[in-house]
Amino acid sequence: MKSSLRAPAIALLPAGMITFICFYLFIAWTFAISLTGSQLLPSWDFVGLAQYERLFASARWWTALRNMAIYGTLFITGCLSLGYLLAILIDRGVRAEGAYRTIFMLPLSMSFVVTGIIWQWMLNPGLGIQQAVRGLGWEDFAFNWLVRADRSIYTVVLAGIWQQSGLCMALFLAGLRGVDPNIWKAAKVDGIPTWRVYASIITPMLRPVFFTAAILLFSLVVKSFDLVVALTGGGPGFASDLPARFVMEHILNRQELGLGAAGACMMLATIAAVVGPYLYAEIRQKKGG
Amino acid sequence: MHWLTSGGESASLAVVRRAFADQGGVWRDATVPGGSAARAAAVNRILGGNPPPVFLFSLGAQLTELSAHGLIVPVPGADEGWDAMLPPLLSRSARYQGRYMAAPLNIHGENWMFYNRAVLEAAGLPVPGSWPEFLETAARLKAMGKTPIAMGGQPWQERLLFNAVLLGVGGRDFYRRLYTSLDPAALDSPTLLDAFRTFASLRAFVDEGSPGRRWNQATAMLMRGDAVFQFMGDWAKGDMRAAGLEPGREIGCALAPAPDPAYIMVVDAFAFTAPRDEATGEAQRRFVSVLMDKDVQARLNQAKGSIPVRTDVPDDGFDACARQAMALIRDPATHLPSTGLFGMSGGLSGAVDDAISHFWNDPRLTPEQGQELLRKSILAFR
Repeated sequence: MKSSLRAPAIALLPAGMITFICFYLFIAWTFAISLTGSQLLPSWDFVGLAQYERLFASARWWTALRNMAIYGTLFITGCLSLGYLLAILIDRGVRAEGAYRTIFMLPLSMSFVVTGIIWQWMLNPGLGIQQAVRGLGWEDFAFNWLVRADRSIYTVVLAGIWQQSGLCMALFLAGLRGVDPNIWKAAKVDGIPTWRVYASIITPMLRPVFFTAAILLFSLVVKSFDLVVALTGGGPGFASDLPARFVMEHILNRQELGLGAAGACMMLATIAAVVGPYLYAEIRQKKGG
Repeated sequence: MHWLTSGGESASLAVVRRAFADQGGVWRDATVPGGSAARAAAVNRILGGNPPPVFLFSLGAQLTELSAHGLIVPVPGADEGWDAMLPPLLSRSARYQGRYMAAPLNIHGENWMFYNRAVLEAAGLPVPGSWPEFLETAARLKAMGKTPIAMGGQPWQERLLFNAVLLGVGGRDFYRRLYTSLDPAALDSPTLLDAFRTFASLRAFVDEGSPGRRWNQATAMLMRGDAVFQFMGDWAKGDMRAAGLEPGREIGCALAPAPDPAYIMVVDAFAFTAPRDEATGEAQRRFVSVLMDKDVQARLNQAKGSIPVRTDVPDDGFDACARQAMALIRDPATHLPSTGLFGMSGGLSGAVDDAISHFWNDPRLTPEQGQELLRKSILAFR
C-alpha cells in the first residue's frame, strides 16, 4: 500500500469496523435467529423457514405491510409536492419570507411522539376538530378517521406530512436558490410562461434534490414507529400497525423473538427491493451523464 | 425490581418494605414503570450478568421459560406447605418441575363489572344478571343519552370484555375447554358463535372516542356518571379510592354476568436469581417469609385492591368487592387463568388479542368471521 493511502485507510478503519459489527454482523445474527424457534431468549434450535411461514400466515403482518405501502406512497408524494409548492411560493419572493420559513420549519423541531400526541388530540372525535365544528353548529359534521379501522392509517399520513414537509421545503428552497438567474432571464426573453419554466426547466434541474429528499423520507417511512405508537397506538385494533411496530411488539412483549426477527428480515428485504434498483439507476445515470 | 408505581401499588409495596426492614433487611429499589418494560428490563439485566436478586414478574409462560433456561432459582424457603396454602391453580402454575419458581404477591380478578350505582338507580334499572338482560339495560341507558359501557380501546381491554362475555355465554367449563385445552370442538361450537354475537352487539354501546383510550380514563367516565358500566380488573378500585369513592358503595361491583360464578385471575409474583453471596441468599429467604406472612398479605392486598394469595387470610378490613372475591375463590372450580400472560404462551396470548381486537374494531366483520379469526389464531398454536 502506498503511504499516501495508509493514513486515510487508518482513519476510516474505526468507522468501517463499527459499520461491519453493528450493521452486517447483527443483520446476520438476526437472520440466523429468524431460522430458529427462539421465544423469550435466543436459542439455537433451527426450524428452517417455519417462522416465515407463520409470518406470512399472519393477517396482522399483511395489514402492517399494506399500511406501510399506503403510508409510504402518500407520505412521500405528499411531502415532496407540498414541500416543493411551498418552496416555489416562498421563492417567488413573498413578504416576510423569514417568518413563513420559520413557521413551515417549526413542526420539524418536534419529535414524532409530540406530533403524534398533538394530532391525537385534534383528531379525537370527542375533543378535537369534529367536536369544535359541531360546536359551531354543524351537528352532522363527522371527521372520525382516527377511530375508524379503515381510515386510521391516513391520519398517520396526515401527521407525517405536517411534520416533514418543512424539511422538503428547505431542501427545495436551497435548490431553487441555486438555479442560475440567467436561466430566468433567458426564459423571460423568450416569453415562456412561469409555470412552464418550473415544469420543464427547473424541476428537471432539481432532480438530485428530489432524489435526496425521497431517500430521506423513505428511511423515515421504514423506521416510523414512534409516530404510530403516539398517534393511534397501532389501532383501532391493529388497523394502523406498521412492520416496525409488529417486530418490536413480537420481540419485546410476546416472547416471539424468532417471529420478530423474521419480520425484521422481511423489512430489510423490502427496503432493498425498493431502494436497490433506484439507487442503482441514479448512480448509473450519473456516471453515464 | 418492580413496576408498582401508581398510588395503591406503591402503598402495597411499602407494606412489604416496612415489614422487611423491621426484620433488619436492606431494601434497594429499582422501579421501571410499565409491566412489560419492567419485565424486559429484568430479563436484560439477567442476560447482562447483573441480575436483580429479587424481581417482580407475572406468573405464566415467560417465567417458565426463564426457569427452563436456569436463569432463575427456585424460591428459597418454599416447601410443601405452600401446596395447601395457595389456591391449586396458583400452586400448579407457579411450579416448574415440581419446585416453586416464584412467590406470588397477589391475585387480581379480570372479570369485574363496575357500575355507577346512582345513575343506574336514577334510571330505575336493576343490575343485569345475564347478557341478554345487560343488552336490554344498555339499550335503555343509551336512549337516555348515557354511554352504557366505559370502554378503553386497547387490545388487552377489548380482550377483558370479550372474555367476560365468553364466560357469561359459555360458562367456565367452556372457557377452560377453549383456552386451556384449545379444544377444536369448542372453537367450532355454536356457543362460541353466540359469544361473538353478543360481543358484536356491544359495539353499539361504546362511545366514539374509545379507541386508544386508557383504562383509567374509562374509569373516570364511569365515576363522573357519563358512562354506566365498565368491565375491568379490580385494579380499577385503586383509582376509585383515589377519587374518594368507596368501591362497593358509589361504584358498585359485581362479577360480569355468568351462569356459574368464576374468577379470571392474574397473578403478580416475585422471582429470584442465584444469590451472589451468603448475605443475599439470607435476604432472599427473609423476603419470602415476609411476603407470605398472613398479616403482610392482608395489608398489602388491601392497599392494592387485589386479594391475598393465601386462602387462610381473614377478610376483615377488605372492601366489599374483595370480600366477595375471597368468598368466591374458596371453591377451586371458580379459578380460571387470564389469557393475558398467565394461561398461555406470549405468542398465543398475543394472537388471541389480535383476533379479538380485529373483530371488535372492524364493524364490517360478522360474528361468523370473528369465530373463524379466533379459530385460526388458536389452531396455529396447537
